[in-house]
Amino acid sequence: MVGPTASLSPLVRADGSASYQCPSTGSNILGSVNAPVELPGRRDALKPEDATVEVFVKPGTAPASVGERYVEGIIRGVVGRLILGRERGYQRRGVVITLAIVGGENVSRGDSYLTLLPALLHTALLALLSASVPLSMTFSATVLSVDAAGKITREPSAEDAAAAKSLHVLAFSSKGHLLLNESQGAFDFDTWERVRERASAICHGTSVGEDGDVAMVESADGQPLEGTIRETVEDQVHRDYSWKIDAA
Amino acid sequence: MASTAPSLTLPPSQFARLQPHAYLLAHLSPPASSNQPSIRANGRAPSQFRTTYANTGSLTHTNGSAVVRVGDTTAVCGVRAEILPTDDIASWSVSHSSSSNTNKRRKIIKSENEEEEEEEEEEEEDPNEESHIQDLNLLVPNLSLSTGCAPGFIPGAPPSALAQSLSHQILNLLHTTRLVRAEDLRVWYQPPSLGGEELERHNAEEQMDVDVDEAARKDGEVKAFWVLYIDIMIVSMAGNPFDAAWAAVLAALRDTKLPRAWWDVDNEMVVCSDVVGEARKLTLRGLPVASSFAVFEADAAAGWRAVIVPDAEEERLIEEGDRKGIQRRWVLADPDGYEEGLSQERACVVVDKVRGKTVIVKMEKNGGWALDGKELKGLVDVSERRWEEVKTILEQC
Repeated sequence: MVGPTASLSPLVRADGSASYQCPSTGSNILGSVNAPVELPGRRDALKPEDATVEVFVKPGTAPASVGERYVEGIIRGVVGRLILGRERGYQRRGVVITLAIVGGENVSRGDSYLTLLPALLHTALLALLSASVPLSMTFSATVLSVDAAGKITREPSAEDAAAAKSLHVLAFSSKGHLLLNESQGAFDFDTWERVRERASAICHGTSVGEDGDVAMVESADGQPLEGTIRETVEDQVHRDYSWKIDAA
Repeated sequence: MASTAPSLTLPPSQFARLQPHAYLLAHLSPPASSNQPSIRANGRAPSQFRTTYANTGSLTHTNGSAVVRVGDTTAVCGVRAEILPTDDIASWSVSHSSSSNTNKRRKIIKSENEEEEEEEEEEEEDPNEESHIQDLNLLVPNLSLSTGCAPGFIPGAPPSALAQSLSHQILNLLHTTRLVRAEDLRVWYQPPSLGGEELERHNAEEQMDVDVDEAARKDGEVKAFWVLYIDIMIVSMAGNPFDAAWAAVLAALRDTKLPRAWWDVDNEMVVCSDVVGEARKLTLRGLPVASSFAVFEADAAAGWRAVIVPDAEEERLIEEGDRKGIQRRWVLADPDGYEEGLSQERACVVVDKVRGKTVIVKMEKNGGWALDGKELKGLVDVSERRWEEVKTILEQC
């Protein structure tokens, strides 16, 4: 399985930015973060000691519409809980995250954003890290589809997702919490638990069985996503500080 | 000179406004000495829903309508049907010819696979047919919050982000549950048979096991579709708009009657009968019921002091310690506006029951890390009970 590739700070003018490609779903996202900025529409009466998080999603071919409002809400829910908006310099200011869908499948009216959601979340996270916005934890997310026979497919393409019986997006924090779950389509709870276990294995690389055994599934799913994100940031830091490392 | 001493106590209503978090927390975890049960500020138990009323057929100018009231949240839903002639669909001639081919192919495969599979197939229905609803946008829900439903929503303002995402959620749920059958929305035309030379040559014998209706449909032609405009107005908003809106959509669609429509060859248009007796109801697939939850954290600072979030393992240990000691968080079913303002984490579970078996149609959680496998399982159980409640309410109205 080919893992996703990402690069940090491709944009010069934004405070932080990231571009992210996921080969299996075919999505290609460019994200930028500006923080902290003064928001013109912000009312101080509204949570005066906290920062406002705004998320904008721009689809590739069409103007943003109702579906984007919904996915913006989801991303804001995840990221807003992790951003430490009470840090110095962030109170009463805004964190503006803009995510542009550069390539990949189009999302038509009434379609769910679930196949694109992990890529959008990862891009948002990497852009936030690139802008050095204080976060309490990082996270990693994945999308899984379950077909009629109960087979779980990781990061399905648009056709697979359309044929699937249910679709699940799960995000885990770096400390192992379930941060987000979006499931749609008919399924029962046992299926969901299997999906959760698999997703946890994809994000963190290990899965703990019923008897407490830790099964290493890294070979099947490639490098865990948590590690991919960590390495992307490490590489960037390494490049940024190469002058210092070389001098030492 | 008798001046009344200023009172040093606050009435509960003022305390609720000044210290909302402490007020709700005091209700949920009363001091052990007071011997009071843990109860929400609105007098409900944590997994108790508000009383729900539903009334159908409230609007006379619609094909189907419903008013659903969940506590103080009220949603009015009207379903209006309009005819979309296939001549007006730009891509119809292209897409239709390709889809009818696959239909034929599928039928042949079906007849080869013996009849035992037939019953299952019938339930599943052709994904091709289903995509008509999605491809041609035959369902158009719209939710409006700009009705002066709550102080925060200014009447006449453009649709807020909340209204837009609710509209999207409803549309998405209509698509994923496949609630409305595409067959109900088709207007067929049966050309009169002019002699027997039209007989299908290649699959004449294979057609034998397919029922007569199906066979007749084969040379029929879809001339138009019904488009259902589903408009939802939240008349009064006191938290949890999605449950109320979805229940209203469900009740309105159950109430919807489409007049008998046919293709008039001479006038080349679709005409409808105005005889009420000929109108038929939609046959919906299942009865998915939505239940929403919010998580209330005892620690008011849990949201921002998150630098020291315990990791999942530690969390589990704390959780176990909780059974003896003080509870840290409560999952509140059907949160009202006051509780929604005090909680960040939300969950929504949509369940349906098919032949006594519970099927989860949608499960969402967002905005926090309190709910995991065990808690979600509990929520599914609560939603199952809610399903029974809503079913009886919708059947009585």
